[in-house]
Amino acid sequence: MARIELVGLSKAFGSVVAVRNLSLTIEDGEFVVLVGPSGCGKTTTLRIIAGFIDANAGEIRIDGRVVNDLEPRDRGLGMVFQTHALFPHKTVMQNVEFGLRMKGMPALERAQRVREVAEMVHISHLLDMMPGQCSGGEAQRVALARTLVTQPSTFLLDEPLSSLDAKLRRELRAECDRLHQALKRTFIYVTHDQEEAMTLADRIVVMRAGEIVQVGTPMEIYSDPVNYFVADFFGSPSMNLLAGEIVQTNGTGRFRGAGLELALPDRLKSAQSGVATLGIRPEDVGVTLGGNGDIALPVRLVEPLGRDTLLYFDAGTERAFIAVSKGLDMADVKVGTRMALSLDPRRLYLFGADGRRLAPS
Amino acid sequence: MRKSQRRRMTAIVRYVLLTGWAVVAFFPIFWMISTSFKPDTQWFAWPPFYFPHPPTLSNYLNVWFGAEEYAATQYAISSQKPLISLLNSTIIAGTATLLSVLFGSVMAYGVSRYRILSETRMFQLLMLRMIPPIVIVAPLSLYYSTLGLLDSMTGLILIYFLTTLPYAVWMTKSFIDEVPREIEQAAEILGASRWRTIFEIVLPLIRSGLVATFLFILILTWSEYLLALIITKTQVTTLPIELSKYQGTTEGRVYGRQAALAVGITIPLMIVGLLIRKHLARGFSFGMVRR
Repeated sequence: MARIELVGLSKAFGSVVAVRNLSLTIEDGEFVVLVGPSGCGKTTTLRIIAGFIDANAGEIRIDGRVVNDLEPRDRGLGMVFQTHALFPHKTVMQNVEFGLRMKGMPALERAQRVREVAEMVHISHLLDMMPGQCSGGEAQRVALARTLVTQPSTFLLDEPLSSLDAKLRRELRAECDRLHQALKRTFIYVTHDQEEAMTLADRIVVMRAGEIVQVGTPMEIYSDPVNYFVADFFGSPSMNLLAGEIVQTNGTGRFRGAGLELALPDRLKSAQSGVATLGIRPEDVGVTLGGNGDIALPVRLVEPLGRDTLLYFDAGTERAFIAVSKGLDMADVKVGTRMALSLDPRRLYLFGADGRRLAPS
Repeated sequence: MRKSQRRRMTAIVRYVLLTGWAVVAFFPIFWMISTSFKPDTQWFAWPPFYFPHPPTLSNYLNVWFGAEEYAATQYAISSQKPLISLLNSTIIAGTATLLSVLFGSVMAYGVSRYRILSETRMFQLLMLRMIPPIVIVAPLSLYYSTLGLLDSMTGLILIYFLTTLPYAVWMTKSFIDEVPREIEQAAEILGASRWRTIFEIVLPLIRSGLVATFLFILILTWSEYLLALIITKTQVTTLPIELSKYQGTTEGRVYGRQAALAVGITIPLMIVGLLIRKHLARGFSFGMVRR
């Protein structure tokens, strides 16, 4: 059981600041996902917690105890690496029991524990194999077992699924989730994949350039992003973001962009005039063939996905304006067809010139 | 010329060049082996005998076992102790090489992981090896004389260990650099101490590299001549020194005996090479292919 507090952590590598004054509390048993683009400092943060990197400033506390000066092995943590980091010259069995052996556990007891854990993550049939003979998914299960067997208070997972194919990723994601439910331990998971973050996390920590941008539940992050970066980063397909400006006339705000002019809903109409970006998620855009809408745009590409159809519209920008239509009703729409799009006023976002969300709800 | 023809031509040229090179490289070895089986009348014969006719073991029996009937010939050498030299060489070269690889690899670990030596210092370390041994032998023999290390195994082991250490550090460092940090970190977070991680994880992972380094240094120490000549006198002689006794003085060059001794010096290295050939191939190509 472990509650982890990071207080004012900073780390620089030469002149490059990797983590800047980061503070975060992770509650006992929580599944927290650190997410952000490459170089945002998420892995550095995880490695500082693990003890592989010393912070230049700040404190790491585990259950109230400052652990900055403790060796990684004395922190009671377990870590799963992106590259699996299995010992290639040891069998799967020897890999899994390594941690127990280091603790001086007798051989019989070790074998018993390894068998239990192997069963839990379905690797019993691999125990006599060498890591080199395992597939990527199997290797990651072995790595997971090697960590599980030592019963750490906290699991640190550094992009554990990023080297696997999509199907395996989904499978192992579910596995991680199941393990978290079963073990009720603290999980800190690093990924650059927003979908992984959304599906796994109790709380998501969005990072950028060494700083925390937003902390919240997946739904909070998705539906209430604090800025342009978070709005753009989460969601697949991404949020539609149209550059333009807010014009105030007689106390009524209007948004004016390329080929689009639209009255702002009540909650946004007091937004100050100036450069702004209008955002709306693809699923909040209504599409009709004919009829009226807020804008009319020509279709650039149609992607029927089965359950939904993605419609890409030409909004005069490099990035297409995307709408999701349920089912396959729109699957036969011809490229170039002009369609009327209505934007759900309750689901509109406005971002200022500095990227900050304007008039958040 | 069509592509397939051009490819065949390239292959032919390549094989011709490689075969030529192999002939040049192997001829001295062939000549050494052939001479070692020749009776004394054929050592200097012109036109030369490429193969001994008839082959004889007399050179071997005389050199290695000081057999009386052969020792009585005009080419016999009085001090017959190559077997003792073989034992000395094995102990000296073996110990010095082991020490060098062991200390070198631990030092290399420090350089690779903790940068205990900067790039410049590492280069300077290698530069130490560039100093010709002749420059250091005079002061060294003075030191050794004071320390009572002259003509002793310890003295030779020590100097061989020190002079080959730079190679050991450089070679093993390149192998350690290839071991992903994460593998060590995994061991650490699972509870292994730093030393345990080195001996249980890192060194076994680079064993092919260690073997390649071992053989390289063994060849250096096994065949070292100058330092051995100056530092040793009568108590401890190594095989290269023994070999030098068979040329010159009153009898002229006793090629057959010398060849028989040289074959004996070469064979142990070949045996070691054969025993570890699996590791050698991996060791010398370490890091060239992504595993």
